[in-house]
Amino acid sequence: MSAAKRVQQWATFARTWHIFDCKWQDPYQSAEVIKKYLMGLHKPIYHSMNDCGDVVVCINSREIALRGNDWRQRAYFHHTGYPGGATWTLAWEVHNKDPTMIIKKAVYKAMRGNLQRRHTMQRLLIYPGEEIPEDIIQNVSNQIRQLRLVPTRLDHISEEEVKKFPKVMDYPQDYVLK
Amino acid sequence: MAFVRRFTPLLAKTFLNIPINTQGRRIHRWVSPTLIELKYREKKQGGKVINPRNTFLEWNLEAELYAFGKRLNEEFDSDLLLQAFTDRSYVIKEEMKQKEMEFDLKMKDNRELVKEGEKFMEEYIQLYLEAVLPKFPVEGIVGIKNHLMSESVLANISLHLGTKDIILAAEYPVERQILANTFKALVGALLQSSGDEQSGHFVRDFVITQLQGQDVNDYWHIEDPWTMLTDLMSKTGSELEPRLIGEVGKNTLLACYRVGLYLDKKMLSSGFGETVATAKEMAAREALKKIFATEENMYPINFKLNGIPKSTSDLRYKISAN
Repeated sequence: MSAAKRVQQWATFARTWHIFDCKWQDPYQSAEVIKKYLMGLHKPIYHSMNDCGDVVVCINSREIALRGNDWRQRAYFHHTGYPGGATWTLAWEVHNKDPTMIIKKAVYKAMRGNLQRRHTMQRLLIYPGEEIPEDIIQNVSNQIRQLRLVPTRLDHISEEEVKKFPKVMDYPQDYVLK
Repeated sequence: MAFVRRFTPLLAKTFLNIPINTQGRRIHRWVSPTLIELKYREKKQGGKVINPRNTFLEWNLEAELYAFGKRLNEEFDSDLLLQAFTDRSYVIKEEMKQKEMEFDLKMKDNRELVKEGEKFMEEYIQLYLEAVLPKFPVEGIVGIKNHLMSESVLANISLHLGTKDIILAAEYPVERQILANTFKALVGALLQSSGDEQSGHFVRDFVITQLQGQDVNDYWHIEDPWTMLTDLMSKTGSELEPRLIGEVGKNTLLACYRVGLYLDKKMLSSGFGETVATAKEMAAREALKKIFATEENMYPINFKLNGIPKSTSDLRYKISAN
């Protein structure tokens, strides 16, 4: 193999590191996107026997958003294997216990159950907050676009800006605000 | 009975369509031990005996030689063709035999034809490559020529032209060196029979076409591409600047860097590598390929140049001269 072909191969099979911000994202819809990068489905060289998956770093997993009343209604099932060992844990309980668990399970569930799945999962790194170890953030060279815009809440906007914002009308002086 | 006779052809036709050699579902248990035993006996007898085709009873050397020329669509002089196929080892062997039997028959071997053919091929290939790769330096052209004139390439061509059985040599199967020499001798014989233009086309069609699908840069190893490139650029007076334009997995074993070379702030080439230094070197190599017009996506080499191309060596760029 000539030198040119060798580096061409090296560049083709280079493992890219992506970052994904989970803030206000639906974990189940995000999982479908993250899965593609983890397995390398976005590459033209993809083949199921081909080790071409990338690494995805998820940050802010504590601030994911579930749909409807999923926090209260979605249950995560576990069975210890012993009689009477079945447990159903609600999503909010799981999330309180481990803020990375829901996104991890979502990605795991998005992939087909085969021998490759557990190895592919090793390439998914999840952090509950924004702080990532320095050596990991240095590897990252691409950002996966978020599926939804993160809404800005009124209490996050500074009081000055709120005051400056043009108003349609002013309340009368004697109007009692509850 | 009449009925049978009437429909016999039909019946025969239906039988024809039934495959006779139906393969069994399995390989029988006796097959392996039998093959092993046969192999063992063959080994005990001193290996597989290959009978040279030219020792067979109905072998007609004259007809074979005539057919050889006709197959290639070339006009060979029959005596010269026989001489081209006669190796030195065969002549020595024959002379020894003749001494024993006490008579003397003069035989010509192909040494002179080899020399003549080799000289012609060297010249022609050089000229041809200079014509089809106009920007490639002389050193590179010599590298490609040496590859084309190497024993392995010529022996391969010679073997596939069907010289293996026609060659008169002491040993059988013939060595690769003898195969290669015979090809050179064939060119020499053709040169004498049909002239240099015809033999030039012969060399073009059989030797130079070996470059099809090959990367010509592989045959010329550049020790220090960066120095060569900067030397080239210093003459034009333009500014060469390497920039790191991509990196992936910096702290991992699979780190990959991409370096781009910018000439007067315009991208010239880019190269990949596992370290920045390798990537820079590869970028320099890519840039040289671009300058020499031998990139990966170059237009295929023209194998249809007619006649003997004119020499352009004097105008051409030489690396060592600088």
